[in-house]
Amino acid sequence: MPGVKRSRDGAEKESEGDASPFMPMFETFRDELDQHHDRRERIIKTSRDVTAASKKIIFALQRVRTLKSNIPAKIASENQQRATTMHVQLAAIATDLTGINVWRYQRQISGGIQEYMEAVTFDHYLKHQTLMTFPEASATLPDGIELTSDDYMLGIFDLVGELMRFAITTMATTGSLPGSSAEVNGDVTARDILMDMRELRMSFQALDTASCGGTGLGRDVEKKMEVMKTCVEKVEAAVYGMIIRGRERPKGWVPDLTDDRQAPLESY
Amino acid sequence: MANMVDPKIFESLQAKIDEDQHVRDDIRTILQSLERQGRSVQSILSRAHSTPAAHLQPALDAAKEAIAEEVTSIGKLSEATVGSPYYKYNGLWMRDVQNVVFAILFCGWLGGMGEEGIVAEPGKLLTIEEVGQILNVPVNLKDQDAFHITIEEYLQSLITLIEELARLAINSVTLGDYQRPLHISHFVKDLHAGFQILNLKNDSLRRRSDSIKYNVKKIEDIVYDLSLRNLVPKAGGAL
Repeated sequence: MPGVKRSRDGAEKESEGDASPFMPMFETFRDELDQHHDRRERIIKTSRDVTAASKKIIFALQRVRTLKSNIPAKIASENQQRATTMHVQLAAIATDLTGINVWRYQRQISGGIQEYMEAVTFDHYLKHQTLMTFPEASATLPDGIELTSDDYMLGIFDLVGELMRFAITTMATTGSLPGSSAEVNGDVTARDILMDMRELRMSFQALDTASCGGTGLGRDVEKKMEVMKTCVEKVEAAVYGMIIRGRERPKGWVPDLTDDRQAPLESY
Repeated sequence: MANMVDPKIFESLQAKIDEDQHVRDDIRTILQSLERQGRSVQSILSRAHSTPAAHLQPALDAAKEAIAEEVTSIGKLSEATVGSPYYKYNGLWMRDVQNVVFAILFCGWLGGMGEEGIVAEPGKLLTIEEVGQILNVPVNLKDQDAFHITIEEYLQSLITLIEELARLAINSVTLGDYQRPLHISHFVKDLHAGFQILNLKNDSLRRRSDSIKYNVKKIEDIVYDLSLRNLVPKAGGAL
């Protein structure tokens, strides 16, 4: 890089003009940093938009009352529109998030992707009553947007919260815990949402995340683990309440939910 | 009936967590020696504050040797992170790498660090490319995901250099060297002018670059004190 060397006679150069010999170098740095900040801001904005749209999708999905069946047409088409918009928004920043920049802006995009994961895995659960796998989840994102296993995992933590709301609201409005039964090799087995939530909880608890402490994933895992456990326990308590007081329960009664998002559909 | 959770999902999550831990452990081991080497280099370089410029060469040679060990560690760091996303782990070593870059810049300014293609001369600012050449790693990578020195790291190290030079300006006067504060003043003002054209956001670079002006003022005060007492050597006069 020319013009960046200074020698001992630097003091004499002052008379020639005040221009710093380092200017060309700093101009290059300025251009690079400007590009970096622009990319960063575009990504932050998209992350916010994706978060907002994903929350709306989740909200709409909470109006579903059945498990392992198609999403009602009206909700499905609304959500399809939102998903399309999100895909366009994400595809627009794909070039900002390629190669070395996948992790450079990870912290900026992470929030949006996690919320998005929560939405797609919830949608998948309602339709299939299974946990969407990582490759499946990754495939729902537009080309060029890479899914990290951290964001996938943190999204699943939040999914448990949605399952709790879904379970409790459904219990409150229909009087039974959502579930399904299927026939495999002539045996009919039933599986309800609480069993699924416990399975998720067990899987998470078995995960050794001690090594993540403090960095990246570790910042969130501990907190989310506690919230996730509480969610399962809330449903356990609600099921207990339903069994013990089930017959006395007036239609539309909702168990106490500190984080209740949805009002009961009807009451007398 | 199939379960809710395909066991493979969590198996693969665990595998990724373990792999991540493995990389982090490797990096931490290297950083431990880099930190130790860093302390040794800093202590050698701080001799500049108590040694007249004319007698500094032994210290510069010793510093260069000590920095060579750091270069080896940086090489190991670069190898250990092959195949890992650079920005996933760079937070772990940023501080240590900045210290190494600063040591190179300071040693270079004092007149050390000469090697093939890099002429050693006092008052010299090594460019990020020259620092990369000394460290034997790429700089400012954009298309390739590998270990490198970033612009931000270089700029952070420049700020540390300015702080160190402000201290050196004071100590030069104590050593009876009235010429060096003038060189420092000029050099730091030129760097300050460079920093002023950067559009910094509210990040750590911004917060630290805010300190440059205090160091500029500190150095100006020294030059003022010298000129007030007619101690400023005539330009071109004997050193």
